[in-house]
Amino acid sequence: MDATSVVAAISGNIATVGYGLAAIGPAIGIGIVVGKTIESIARQPELAGRLQVLMWIGIAFTEALALIGIATYFIFVS
Amino acid sequence: MTDQQPDRPETESTASRPVPADEARAPQQSSGPSSNLVLKSALLWGGLLALAIAVVASVVGGLVAGGVGVVSALIGTAMAVVYLGITAASILLANRFTASDLFVGIFFGIVLGAWLVKFVLFIVVAILLKGQPWVNPQVMFLTMIVGVIGSLVVDVVVVLRSRMPYASDTRLPGGR
Repeated sequence: MDATSVVAAISGNIATVGYGLAAIGPAIGIGIVVGKTIESIARQPELAGRLQVLMWIGIAFTEALALIGIATYFIFVS
Repeated sequence: MTDQQPDRPETESTASRPVPADEARAPQQSSGPSSNLVLKSALLWGGLLALAIAVVASVVGGLVAGGVGVVSALIGTAMAVVYLGITAASILLANRFTASDLFVGIFFGIVLGAWLVKFVLFIVVAILLKGQPWVNPQVMFLTMIVGVIGSLVVDVVVVLRSRMPYASDTRLPGGR
């Protein structure tokens, strides 16, 4: 038996899988950021302004990674 | 039917509650959460940074790939800065509904909805721009990365330099 026998094969553009992988991290990150912000505002509504700014910074960093991940489409599918 | 109390004298309910008149005015007096100033400042500085990056990247792109490089650098800068600025803009938009009873739902609906739509648009733009003869993918990709990292640096600097008081959104019974 060949140790490297192929049990599954993909045909088509592998970059689609790359987008899927690039979407997992930001989705989890945004969920955590927004969920924690909701928790915090529910606890201390008077801090809503500060918490919004912190949430915005968190979202910015999370989505930056996603943007770069999706933008690799320009490089790797050329 | 049980909540109607016709035997309560009307003067008592009005005389013992002098506050509601002030409370009713309070939402109109407040100009939204205290984060608005920080977000507006970040948008302003992000725009200035975009101009600077566009100029530098256009020069570099022009030297590397000619006119195609200039166009690619401009598109890359615009994509990076616009897509990062949409978050702050969506928060500013959502903060207009502070007085609403459904503010939390509206806020996260607008912010996360804008986030979702933004990524769909980003993918569509990427597909449309792919393979165009007037686009240099390398120049666009590198410009986009520079724009994204530059925007993050500007955001962090703006937040670090901002002065936000603790308990800034407290609404006291006196209507303040």
